[in-house]
Amino acid sequence: MTTLTVAAPPQTRKPRKPRPWLAMIAVIVIGLFAFGPVYWLIVTALTPSGDAFQFPPRLWPRTVTFEHFANLADNPVLGRYLVNSLIVSSLTAVLTVLVSAYTAYSFSKFRYRGRRSLMSLILASQMFPQALLLITLYLLFSAFGLLNSYLALVLSFTTFTLPLCVWMLKGFFDTIPDELLEAAKVDGAGQGSVIHRILLPVSLPGLVATGLFAFIRGWNDFIFALTLAGPEKQTLPPGLVNTYLGEFQAAWPDLMAASLVVSLPVVGGFVILQRYLVAGLVSGAVKG
Amino acid sequence: MPDNARQPKHLSDRTFGFLLTLPAVVLFAAIVLYPLIGSLTTSLFQQSLVIPGRSFVGLDNFRHVLDDQFWPVLQNTLVFTVFSTACPFILGFALALALNTRLPGRAVLRGAFLFPWVIPGVVVSFAWLWIFNANYGLLNGVLVQLGLIDAPVSWLGDPTTAMLAVIVAKTWASFPWIMVMLLAGLQTVPATLHEAAAMDGAGTLRRFWHITLPHLRGIIGIVVLLEVIWNFQHFDMIYVLTGGGPAGATTTFAVAVYETAFKGFDLGRAGALGALWLLLLLVLVVGYVRLAEREEKR
Repeated sequence: MTTLTVAAPPQTRKPRKPRPWLAMIAVIVIGLFAFGPVYWLIVTALTPSGDAFQFPPRLWPRTVTFEHFANLADNPVLGRYLVNSLIVSSLTAVLTVLVSAYTAYSFSKFRYRGRRSLMSLILASQMFPQALLLITLYLLFSAFGLLNSYLALVLSFTTFTLPLCVWMLKGFFDTIPDELLEAAKVDGAGQGSVIHRILLPVSLPGLVATGLFAFIRGWNDFIFALTLAGPEKQTLPPGLVNTYLGEFQAAWPDLMAASLVVSLPVVGGFVILQRYLVAGLVSGAVKG
Repeated sequence: MPDNARQPKHLSDRTFGFLLTLPAVVLFAAIVLYPLIGSLTTSLFQQSLVIPGRSFVGLDNFRHVLDDQFWPVLQNTLVFTVFSTACPFILGFALALALNTRLPGRAVLRGAFLFPWVIPGVVVSFAWLWIFNANYGLLNGVLVQLGLIDAPVSWLGDPTTAMLAVIVAKTWASFPWIMVMLLAGLQTVPATLHEAAAMDGAGTLRRFWHITLPHLRGIIGIVVLLEVIWNFQHFDMIYVLTGGGPAGATTTFAVAVYETAFKGFDLGRAGALGALWLLLLLVLVVGYVRLAEREEKR
């Protein structure tokens, strides 16, 4: 893995005197720890059941099979979890982008009393323990008949994804010159059309990145879907736990295949938008 | 009051700016603030998840919780938090330093190393459940074949090793994020400083200590504090890996509050335990907000 032929991007500054051998040893050792489990996940998913359950385990498969992926497709329950995950994560992404765009615009371009406190409040809100909030959230959603509904999941996911998304977008809006927005106002555009005709179209890449991030957060959530949704509305993470870990002997190769399938959209989306997400994460955490 | 001549039909900028935050504020009030107050209030009542109605019991729930659950749970949470922050930090820092050199393909490596952090926590747990499996697990297989252990160990089933196993899995999932943050910080250290110091005869270690570390102080503080806050309330991986067991050996606050409320149906006690948990957490969160604000002003 240290002999990749991809050239490093041109440096804008000279790196300090390199110690490549030390760096390479570190990368190899940490690489084994980082990619060993990934390798094992993939190998197990491709190993016939008979070979997977033997000790000591075989480090590379004798024969490769796709039967475990076929097993997944045959299981209608998993299909339902998948659909639920897609619906809930997509709705979360849309709602999060809308709400965080308005909020981030407010924080970025307006000055009013209480703005700083609001920013701190929203930043701090992601840090309240969810298990504690769930005690009352469960009763609240129950009182409104919203237990076991998409709405309960979308509202919960959105609230806890908002803080980071607001900060990602605020960083984006900060780079948009005020003059651009002022010019539109001088031309007679109302406050609303400044947002919808100018700000949002100009920030499309940032909105897409934010939406994708929210989608991933919704896709990965475990505790809200576990608690607030029953089998009909549950998403993949709690769904897989209930399907595979409840049994006496778990079907490990099937579970590993399912794990790969669940990870796929997240990894794909992340590869596409890595640049935005990394920058957003850094600024979101530091520029609170 | 005469209207602002330039935008006669509109609200003032300040009012409009504030109104823009309303959707977020409403969500925050409904999903965070109200449940927070509600759950804290619950701690003063005897209340069941499944039976309607409740009765005021004062501080009884706190007394019960402090008598039997609180201290072991606090100890587990502290052990988990300290080691699940320190281990990934050391690993992430080492990797960030390694990837900040003239290593071939480092841009690709930086992206590839994020994989463990990107995949869902539940999937991470599945992978490690399988690796730690007592009968067919990869870890036992490797260790037995290397002669390091005589017989397979039930890593997650033994109270003495369960927490260690959970921390290893959590370390795997956390270190990539720390690496990215520290690498971003490292790239802001001016190379000229290092060159000048090297010219004056300062070795790698001295330059790391006197140039790199002071430059990273702010970002290290934020990364560590955020990790501590997150680990202090981590639920997903512990719940899937051990469910808090065996014999409560990995029961942290998050697992204990969840189990008490949704398996034991005892909302009062869950609320009391949660209130104590929140109190400890609040100290950390206030510290984080302070630190983040100071960093922004710099």
